[in-house]
Amino acid sequence: MKRSERLKPYIPWITIIAAVILLAIIAPSPYIMGTMVFVALWGVLAIGMGVLMGQAGLFSLAQPTWFGLGAYCAGILAARGILPAWAGIIAGGAFVALISFVIGIPVLRLRGMYLACVTLGILMIAQIVFVHLEDITGGSFGLKGIPPLSIGGFVFQTDLHFYFLSWALCIGCLWFFSNIMNSRVGRAIKAFRDSEVASEAMGINIPMYRLQIFVLTSVTSALAGGIFCFYLRFVAPTLFSFDLLIELVLMIVIGGIGSLWGLLLGSFVLTWLSEVIHLSFGKIFPTMTGSIDAILFAILVIVILIFMPHGLAGWVEQLFRLGRRSYEHLRSSLGQ
Amino acid sequence: MSTSEVPLGSNEHLNMELDKNHSFFDVIKLSRSFGGIKALSDVTFSLDKGSIVSIIGPNGAGKTTFINVVTGMYPPLRGEIHFRGRNISGLRAHTIAGLGIGRTFQFVEPFPSLTVLENAMVGCHSRSRNGMFAVGLRLPSALEEEKRVKDEAMENLEMVGLEHRKFHSISSLPLGERKLLGIARALGIKPKLLMLDEPVGGLAAHEVEKVVELIHQLSSRGLTILIVEHNMPFVMSISERVLVLNQGYKIADGPPDEVKSNEAVIKAYLGEED
Repeated sequence: MKRSERLKPYIPWITIIAAVILLAIIAPSPYIMGTMVFVALWGVLAIGMGVLMGQAGLFSLAQPTWFGLGAYCAGILAARGILPAWAGIIAGGAFVALISFVIGIPVLRLRGMYLACVTLGILMIAQIVFVHLEDITGGSFGLKGIPPLSIGGFVFQTDLHFYFLSWALCIGCLWFFSNIMNSRVGRAIKAFRDSEVASEAMGINIPMYRLQIFVLTSVTSALAGGIFCFYLRFVAPTLFSFDLLIELVLMIVIGGIGSLWGLLLGSFVLTWLSEVIHLSFGKIFPTMTGSIDAILFAILVIVILIFMPHGLAGWVEQLFRLGRRSYEHLRSSLGQ
Repeated sequence: MSTSEVPLGSNEHLNMELDKNHSFFDVIKLSRSFGGIKALSDVTFSLDKGSIVSIIGPNGAGKTTFINVVTGMYPPLRGEIHFRGRNISGLRAHTIAGLGIGRTFQFVEPFPSLTVLENAMVGCHSRSRNGMFAVGLRLPSALEEEKRVKDEAMENLEMVGLEHRKFHSISSLPLGERKLLGIARALGIKPKLLMLDEPVGGLAAHEVEKVVELIHQLSSRGLTILIVEHNMPFVMSISERVLVLNQGYKIADGPPDEVKSNEAVIKAYLGEED
């Protein structure tokens, strides 16, 4: 095999890592870096949710819950000095793995809208628990006194530090899940979404894979939550509410559920768009930027659903195919 | 298939041991009903290793139900199924597939979001081992297994003559090729017993010939083949034995010629003379 052939699968990864580093060099302002931290963290959540909905056919809405549990768990352990901050993030992941495993066993027997209803219920219950366990979570005022994150003497203080940390997690997730989707496990997951009877007859243990992918996407969301809590040094129940779920759904619709990078694109577009809206309308209607958000996003979603039913990523892929076909057409007609 | 390659998850020596000591496949008084309808009533029969046997019967006779119960799609109400010395009745479908009972579907049930080759690769699932973390982190064992699975799936596609279609989407395949893909996919589990649900239903004559040739080829490799089919000339020419079901009951079981002249069979198909 030629060397260029062998390197081909790595090109997208090299490109995205280079882009992340380049952005930090050309635009290291706290504002841009800080916003990009959110792009990465929402991206992790959107990837998890997109894998469940788009690939495994599991309509789960619990991603903000796992994100919140991961954040609270890491924050509480670190604020009380039980664990060092970095270990708190991992403990948050482990805790959510356990919880989502226990919840997943009964809940994943449900299909479609029923699963959506139950996971939405879990989100509501988590909200109530965060608010009412005041002694532990700090109630609706939020959890304070979270120490800074430090790993082996290195203290994460600036937005730039968190920018690299969150993008490392985000690119790691993207890589991990895209590897899974291109493997025997990914084929099995797509197969049981397409035909349950046939995939069972091929020896695929459907409940096991459902549970595994559910737990795995929960854990990545919890890790994002851990980073989130040390970035803000503050956690409150409203950060993990229904609003976040709506944002995630918007990201998935805008980016396109068919591919993993589309989900990240959705996070990028939505996060920056709301920043732009806040910047440009903030001065004109200082008290209603939230409502303007909602109206503009609603229009955007309608436009996307009509003109790009597979989201931005689906649209770009379609353009690519079209471009390649017309290029080949042109080349063959020139050749004759 | 070349024998020099190590098959995925091989336990050939154990398999030979198993076949020596036990009858190959026995169904004992198998029953299954849906609501008030008896789809299968006390069906008893056995298969010899390496034989080609067909199940026929009018619509609603319980033929597909028989395959579904044997492969664990739903559990039997009563009765036992023994496969190579093991009682498999009530086991889950994916476990039964792992034991070596492959099947195709009347309407193929392909995986439309996967390519032809990927469909065939899903067939090899039960004999590959790497889990989520191994494949997610691209561990060497996972990459190596992926390559082996791909090679094997290609061999199975070559076997049915679909290798030129490997990168095509399912929606571009005509029915005949879809049915062949169903067989290639089922071959992925390295079945000892292969159940074909209407393998030639709706196919043109030259396509039927292809399937006949393929079934003989598979049989010569030692596979035991059970066919459910409506196409009588096909069934009568290919089968060593024919089993006739009617309204869930077994009404005849024997060589094709004998079954053809069996009075109960003629009555079931043509109705009684006044």
